[in-house]
Amino acid sequence: MATTNISITVNGRQHDLLVDEKETLLEVLRDRFDLTGTKNACSYGACGACTVVADNEAVKSCLLKPEKYNGKNILTIEGLADGNNLHPIQDAFIKAGAIQCGFCTPGFVMSLYALFTNNLDASDDEIKAVLEKHICRCTGYEFIWDAAKLAQKMLKER
Amino acid sequence: MTYTQVGKPLLRTDAYEKVTGKATYVADIKLPKMLYAKILRAEYAHAKILAIDTSEAEKMPGVRKVVTGQGCEILFGACIKDQPPLAVDKVRHAGEGVAAVIAESEKQAEEATKKIKVDYEPLPFVIDPLEAFKDDSPIIHEQNHEYCRVPGYPPKEGTNIFHHYRQIKGNAEKGFAESDLVVEEEFYYPLLSHVQMEPHGCIACWDSEDSCRIWASTQAPFIVREIVGHMFHIPFANIKVYAPYLGGGFGGKSDVSIEPMVAYIARFVPNHPVRLVLTRKEAFTSSLLGRGMRGKIKVGAKNDGKLVALKAELFYSDGAYGDTGCNVVTASGFVATGPYEYEHCEVDCYGIYTNTPPVGAYRGYGHPEAHLMSERMINILARKLNIPQAELMRKNFLSDGKVNAVGQVIRKGNGDLYQCLDEVEKALFAEPLPSEDADYYYGRGIAGFMKTPMMLPNASSGAIIKMCEDGSFNVSISGIEMGQGCQTTMTQIAAEALKVPVEKIRISKDVDTQFSPYEWQTVGSITTLRVGNAIIQAAERAIQKMKESVAQISHRPVEDLKYEGELIRSKSNKNFEFETKLLALSYLSPEGHGVGEPIETTGHYYIPGVNFPLPEVGGGNCCGSWTFGCEGAEIKISKKSGEVTVNHLAIAIDLGRAINPMGARAQMVGGMMMGYGAALMEEVLFNEKGIMKNPNYNQYKLPRLSNVPEKLTVKLVETPDETGPFGARCIAEHPAISIPPAIMNAIVDATGIDLFEIPIKPKELLAKLGGGQDGDN
Repeated sequence: MATTNISITVNGRQHDLLVDEKETLLEVLRDRFDLTGTKNACSYGACGACTVVADNEAVKSCLLKPEKYNGKNILTIEGLADGNNLHPIQDAFIKAGAIQCGFCTPGFVMSLYALFTNNLDASDDEIKAVLEKHICRCTGYEFIWDAAKLAQKMLKER
Repeated sequence: MTYTQVGKPLLRTDAYEKVTGKATYVADIKLPKMLYAKILRAEYAHAKILAIDTSEAEKMPGVRKVVTGQGCEILFGACIKDQPPLAVDKVRHAGEGVAAVIAESEKQAEEATKKIKVDYEPLPFVIDPLEAFKDDSPIIHEQNHEYCRVPGYPPKEGTNIFHHYRQIKGNAEKGFAESDLVVEEEFYYPLLSHVQMEPHGCIACWDSEDSCRIWASTQAPFIVREIVGHMFHIPFANIKVYAPYLGGGFGGKSDVSIEPMVAYIARFVPNHPVRLVLTRKEAFTSSLLGRGMRGKIKVGAKNDGKLVALKAELFYSDGAYGDTGCNVVTASGFVATGPYEYEHCEVDCYGIYTNTPPVGAYRGYGHPEAHLMSERMINILARKLNIPQAELMRKNFLSDGKVNAVGQVIRKGNGDLYQCLDEVEKALFAEPLPSEDADYYYGRGIAGFMKTPMMLPNASSGAIIKMCEDGSFNVSISGIEMGQGCQTTMTQIAAEALKVPVEKIRISKDVDTQFSPYEWQTVGSITTLRVGNAIIQAAERAIQKMKESVAQISHRPVEDLKYEGELIRSKSNKNFEFETKLLALSYLSPEGHGVGEPIETTGHYYIPGVNFPLPEVGGGNCCGSWTFGCEGAEIKISKKSGEVTVNHLAIAIDLGRAINPMGARAQMVGGMMMGYGAALMEEVLFNEKGIMKNPNYNQYKLPRLSNVPEKLTVKLVETPDETGPFGARCIAEHPAISIPPAIMNAIVDATGIDLFEIPIKPKELLAKLGGGQDGDN
């Protein structure tokens, strides 16, 4: 199998590595760096569980091939908290009760991180459009919506 | 009674791990020497296996072993042993495992499966349960009647019927003769996929001929242990099943699914953990499905609305193997009436082999299928009798002193349907319904429900409490945290029972069958009731032990001592107090002696007095607990597209006691949206070759945020159940039960059109609307 050299920054640490040309960013994160907080639920970009942030944009890591993630600055759920201090979005998910089985949670959190990083004044419709890309089978979304709104408020007040 | 911990909206104790990516699921586990498996899946719904050639696959890079079912004589199952770990002489559904490749990487394993050659002889297949029920249907298990099975699951030789549950109360024919009105209808509840976000995963490692370790995405580690023990005739004690966090279960990870196969193939590469994680497609085609029922129902009533007689036949498409479906079939028979009293009932439920993936538990366990019929029939009867539906419901509700279909006398402590209906009506009818306009029809519908957990009469839960020397407590349970929040509610129950703050309680977060207390399985919404009671018993024993130690130390009678959590006080002497934490490891006296025993206790609970259903007539005291409630929906239907928009979903459930109201609401809303999916979106479909047409997220549509109604009402009614921990009863599956009939009844309200099948398809509804139906009926 053909391989390619890439350079990638993950949660603030830079790495040079040789990857298979078909190796997805999700595989790199989970299998090479043991960053298993990013979940694989479909591997074809339909559910949002594998979402991470690449150069401040939310991306579905299961779809990205080396040419798309080479040179990028990647943030995963493991890199979001500042030491023991949770990021406000994480805090909001806990406080709003937005977590049940937890398998979809990192994807939702990372999508909202990208959204609010780029536009903290995102309208309700803009927030909804982002959440719509994610599937949660447990919560019925009510508390996830509450968490998104609470996170926006907490970030604004920070 | 006032509580300090129960009834509080404690934030989830598992949330921190889950929101930081630290929570471990099976697919996150890497072990030394681990190998990876991929499965070659059958491409036929029903076919003889003539030959399998694995020689090319064995030569592929990284391949350690290729395993087939050839020569395998193992059949597994808890009630009916009818399933081999890999297909042997024939395949019975598309997606069944035919061969496994074990390799050094998942990709190598996958590449090698492509090199396996299988010669099949296709056989006629059958998907629909009514077709499979017929005498001239293709036979899926020729040896149906020969399988080893426990009593109570009678097969019919020479047919696809592997289980028939019959339940009789009174004399239905007599009842119909006495009725003023008799109505008969037929219903269809399609096959659904649970679609838990976490695909099924399992790792198995054989450490010797007779001992193994298994890591599984399971609701039922002790059932996995039992099945694997039987499969290989090894001591159950030598099997260690480890259950980490579960990314959603909904019944589809109860009993067993992929674990027997992984245990079987791993035996060929001893000392290597072998990991299989299903793809999303495999989770659809090769784990378990749910529901799949065609039903016929006939009900008779008096002109005044008194329900008299019910006759129902439920035909279940249970897929290629019957073990996981057989008790769903029985459970639906317990509740075919819905939450109403009928004097006469005759219910026949059939478990039928079909050429689909095996069908098993799915949130509600036979109840949603039964209620689709019962709650639509109440609506139809009400209109024919010209009585408001709510009035008809109230007239016939099961309540204190009434006798349900299985013959149990309902207690006040089972809950209050009247209050539930009041609450749903209050919420649903708070505002006037918009009048039909140029674009939409508007309507509202209600439906009741009742639910009982189906289980073995001795199905038990355990708890182990260990006090630490700082006065905090480790509480080990084997209730699986699959998202429902049991760790959090159990924290509250333990804190309440031990009279300490929740911060002093640490519930074990994962299960290991060699160390954790016994638990039948985490099913039937039972954890709060059964594990909760086990924790309370263990806590009472711990408190008793502490008092006995203090009695010994202080030379006071045990009866004089009062436990207050961190302190034990004397009732007779206000000045005496003793710090309980000093007792944790047994008390070390000033003189240097040990006094008393360490504070480490166990507790268990099973619901006493439950029996298997009686022979011949079914029923008896076969239902261990009941929960009642009502649901409602307000909808609008587009005149242009036929599309149904749900504006409001409501539920009122009598949960006895809300241990955690926030968690209870989370379960109610999640469950109602699952019911929404079933009513309007979800259906597993098969093509003309019997192959699943939509095994993916793009074609099997699930509710997303935009589907959530503008308004969600959750009312928690609290009629304490004297058997439950602090009065609590089972609640988690329940909201999924009656949303489909509530929405269908709302469609009747809006358009006068009666529907009998789900999911509701806009085009079909539009066609019916075009047929001249209009407004009132």
